[in-house]
Amino acid sequence: MNLTAEERHMLDGQRGPVLAKALDYLVQFGEAFGAERFVDVIYAHYPAEMSIYRGNVEDAVEYAGTGARVCIPTTSSTLACDLDQWDKLGCPRALYDLQAQVVDAHRRMGVLGTYTCTPQWLGFVPPKGSHIISVESSAIVYFNSVLGARTNRGGIFTRYSAVTGKYPLMGYLLDAGRRGTHLFKLHLTPDDLKHESDYSALGFHVGALVGSEVPVLDGLPRSTPTQLLALSAALATSGSVTLFHAPGNTAEADSVEQAFAGASPKATYTVTRKDLQAAYDKLTTVGAGETIDFVTLGCPHATLEQLRHVADWFAAQGKRVHADVRLWVCTNRMTRQAGQWEGIVPRIEAAGGFVVSDCCPVESHMRISTCHEHGLPTPQIRAMVTDSTKMARYVGDLIGCKTALRNRDDCLRAAVDGRA
Amino acid sequence: MRTIQARGIVKGSVAGPALVCRKAFSFLGDVDMDTGVIIAKGHEHAGESIAGRVLIYPETKGSSGGCLVLMVLAKQQRQPAALVLMKEADPNIVEGAIVAGVAVVCSTQEDLLALVPSGAAVTVDGTAGTISF
Repeated sequence: MNLTAEERHMLDGQRGPVLAKALDYLVQFGEAFGAERFVDVIYAHYPAEMSIYRGNVEDAVEYAGTGARVCIPTTSSTLACDLDQWDKLGCPRALYDLQAQVVDAHRRMGVLGTYTCTPQWLGFVPPKGSHIISVESSAIVYFNSVLGARTNRGGIFTRYSAVTGKYPLMGYLLDAGRRGTHLFKLHLTPDDLKHESDYSALGFHVGALVGSEVPVLDGLPRSTPTQLLALSAALATSGSVTLFHAPGNTAEADSVEQAFAGASPKATYTVTRKDLQAAYDKLTTVGAGETIDFVTLGCPHATLEQLRHVADWFAAQGKRVHADVRLWVCTNRMTRQAGQWEGIVPRIEAAGGFVVSDCCPVESHMRISTCHEHGLPTPQIRAMVTDSTKMARYVGDLIGCKTALRNRDDCLRAAVDGRA
Repeated sequence: MRTIQARGIVKGSVAGPALVCRKAFSFLGDVDMDTGVIIAKGHEHAGESIAGRVLIYPETKGSSGGCLVLMVLAKQQRQPAALVLMKEADPNIVEGAIVAGVAVVCSTQEDLLALVPSGAAVTVDGTAGTISF
């Protein structure tokens, strides 16, 4: 790689051994993938969820002990427990203690304790064309597509970029990596895309067909940020999409032609209501009317507006969550506190629901691998209803329960009735 | 001795006995993090350890936690000697290999799954991108 004088000084150790080692790793990484030079990254979204794995907590604490500090704004992704309500939610003390060590290590390094999969809801909205590095697949797709910032799928090396402010120029940072590959012609009416769960079903359908390439959605009506995030999260669930274009909604391509930059699509598909219904059917393994005992909303983490919808629904219906059902509405801690101030959170709690922060059912003490790690009994959840294809897809494997994919209001109805 | 050309990804010149896996490999879930023993049910090498072996396999699959598994294995000196992928190396496993000091080559010019038996002595040069056996 061609290094600037500043980068060479860093690599030579003139700014200390921590930065020298971090940049050396990034040079090896860039050279492995043919990067010619580094770019400056202006923001990092940092991994925290893996802290439930043995070795990683020690590693995070050890790295903070080297005196390493981030040099760009750095938010943190989800943890495996709610730092304020862990006890109430059934999380064992040992797991909380482990997470508290990670929080302390992050603080010492200057990583912000946001602990959320949706940092964009907290105002971290990097501008179009900026280079960033992010973990969390839904946020990665949103940053790249809706905002037009540029990031690859970050891993543990997000750490070295956050402390050096550098990332190799490669992959989705290059114009060549951002061209559309597959065309999806949407034959969908506004009625087909009424709910966020419809966007989630759309993304689930498209992601499975496109794998790790770049889908172009032609005919997506003007959509809201939460609808586009539902779509982003699903694209990275059934597939490993990093970027999509939807002219009229996303940042980079104003037309289908522009999205393909002169090339022809590798494949063209037509999408109808039937395809969305197939996603609902695939992710619904409990029969209509069967007993359910868990309902999850807020995957990805909810906005204040989404919390308000839940509170308003309970107020309008005048009903409470069924005694045998747990309702988790997941969000980040800052939004939960805003919801507390707004009176939204107390209303959801009064109806028998939990407003959970920092984590989610999959990233919690209910994940089977986490239970094994900490010698806990595995959760006996029979069936979960959710409006997110991502949650539905992962709980099947990671928590081992049946699922139902429903729109938000039907999820809340199921929470009240105790039936799908 | 035969030498096959590949793409050098992570530096290092090492030798070790081959462990040939015919299917895509997931470090998170397929391997015990303390011992390096393959624990995936029904895996062709279930019960064998990847520690010190030249792991020859088509491609990596599964969670992004794979890089962490390599790092944890390396802390206990239980990491593989080298990784040889028939297809492209994914960035996640490359990150883990760099920190763990495990040489990696990928995109081999010939299909080694048919050429190299498990247990054969193999030398990998991650800088030159070669595999000799």
